Amino acid sequence: MGMKTSAALAAAMLALGLPGMAGAAKVGDPLYVKAKNTRVMKSPSPTADAVVILQPGEQVKWEGADPKQKQWHRVTAPGGKKGFVFQTNLSTTPPKMELVTDPGGKRQVDPKKFVASGAAVKALSPGAEKYGNGKKGDYAKAVASIKAMEARSKTVTPERIAAHVKEAGLFPVVGPRDSVAKTKGGR
Amino acid sequence: MDARLKVFAVLGLGVLASSCRGMDLNTIARGVTTAGGVAETVGGGVAKVKECGKLDVEPSVAEEYALGGALTIHFVQRGNGLMFATEGDKKLHDYLNIVGKNLAAQSLRPTLEWTFGVLNDTEQFNALSAPGGYVLVTRRLLMELDNEGQLAGVLAHEIAHGVLKHAIHKYTAQKVKTCRLVAGGETLLSALGAKALLAALDGDGTLDLDNEPELLAHLAEKTVNSFDDGNGPELEFEADQMAARLMLSAGYDPKDYLGLIDKMTDVKNQKNHPKKETRKKKLVAYLETLKGDEGEFPEYASEGLRSPPLKQPDYAVIKSTTGVAKDTP
Repeated sequence: MGMKTSAALAAAMLALGLPGMAGAAKVGDPLYVKAKNTRVMKSPSPTADAVVILQPGEQVKWEGADPKQKQWHRVTAPGGKKGFVFQTNLSTTPPKMELVTDPGGKRQVDPKKFVASGAAVKALSPGAEKYGNGKKGDYAKAVASIKAMEARSKTVTPERIAAHVKEAGLFPVVGPRDSVAKTKGGR
Repeated sequence: MDARLKVFAVLGLGVLASSCRGMDLNTIARGVTTAGGVAETVGGGVAKVKECGKLDVEPSVAEEYALGGALTIHFVQRGNGLMFATEGDKKLHDYLNIVGKNLAAQSLRPTLEWTFGVLNDTEQFNALSAPGGYVLVTRRLLMELDNEGQLAGVLAHEIAHGVLKHAIHKYTAQKVKTCRLVAGGETLLSALGAKALLAALDGDGTLDLDNEPELLAHLAEKTVNSFDDGNGPELEFEADQMAARLMLSAGYDPKDYLGLIDKMTDVKNQKNHPKKETRKKKLVAYLETLKGDEGEFPEYASEGLRSPPLKQPDYAVIKSTTGVAKDTP
């Protein structure tokens, strides 16, 4: 599938809010960034410097697998920067659109815009909290514990996830931060 | 995991009392007088009944959060509360969230704010998810796991239900059903509640549940009740497949997922739920289909997959618990 055709199809799918149609991609085709904080590296290694960090829904042009490190793939990122991305950071399927309500009305947005809209920030909703606190029995206790749980969950950052992944020997998919570090060796 | 499995029956989700029952026609009549407009919609019920399919739409994220929060309150209340009291409990909670959020960040809803918690239920081998990214697992289930791959499998399965919006589809079905009943003259809601529901027919079909407490209560409880029979086989297979893909993406060996299915007990009181042997066969066959062709982008990893141990000492708080018997196979 040619880049132009694929991009047009992808744009149409995004516009329609379709969950995505997985299909085979060949060298030169676009792929979707799948995971949060996807790092495009200078060389095919999780310890290399990051060229740019991408977010779900962004597209890269697939240039093929590295001949030696076959799980690392050469890509051209938006803006033309080239580098290497780990295999499972990329997908032929776009992420789902989210339906948000804001001053602009109700609209479907891609994951990046979803985060920017502020709608991604979750806490037990005011209506749910009122509902639980208004019921007899120990529902109010459940409300309090869920709020405490949510607050604690927010302390689990991408940095902690990336550290665990490294320790457990899993794939280096979710990067520790959402922008390239300013210092040398920043990942 | 096989979540909806027993939990819903044993936790008693089938006996929720609707807080909105007991209203009579007089209530509606009073509402008609005071609320205005409702008389017209209820009076023109036949036309409205036909329009109720308009409510079968994807909810907004805000609507999803409200529904998911209300369902999670029920799950926590009936699951003996959250295991979240001691410092050890909180370390376990963090570990669960690290594993879960890593998987969720690679899902088709990567930017939803996912929250993972442990129910203090030592009886049921179960996990469940609610809209808005809530995932809960029972303490009993965690006691049975052998490695992090199996834990990832449980969480990935529930993330898949959330991504695929299986609970939301039950909710929208209840929305449409309630609309038809209300438009047809049933006294399920107060006049104001009925008006708010039917007003959605003139909009985009979504509801502002945070500002409509009666609708939130009614629809959340109806949705919880609709889980009693578990998900149908196709929905479970769909979640199994997505879970396996998530595991492959993160670097877990999907064989651990098969080992997890082995630990489940087929539940006789959930007529819809598929048998574990069927699930395993289907999953093995599905994994074979993920092998790509030469020259195509290899979306699914086949090398470097791991089966890490459960992280210690964070997991010790689970394993230290004793005195809970295994299910009879």
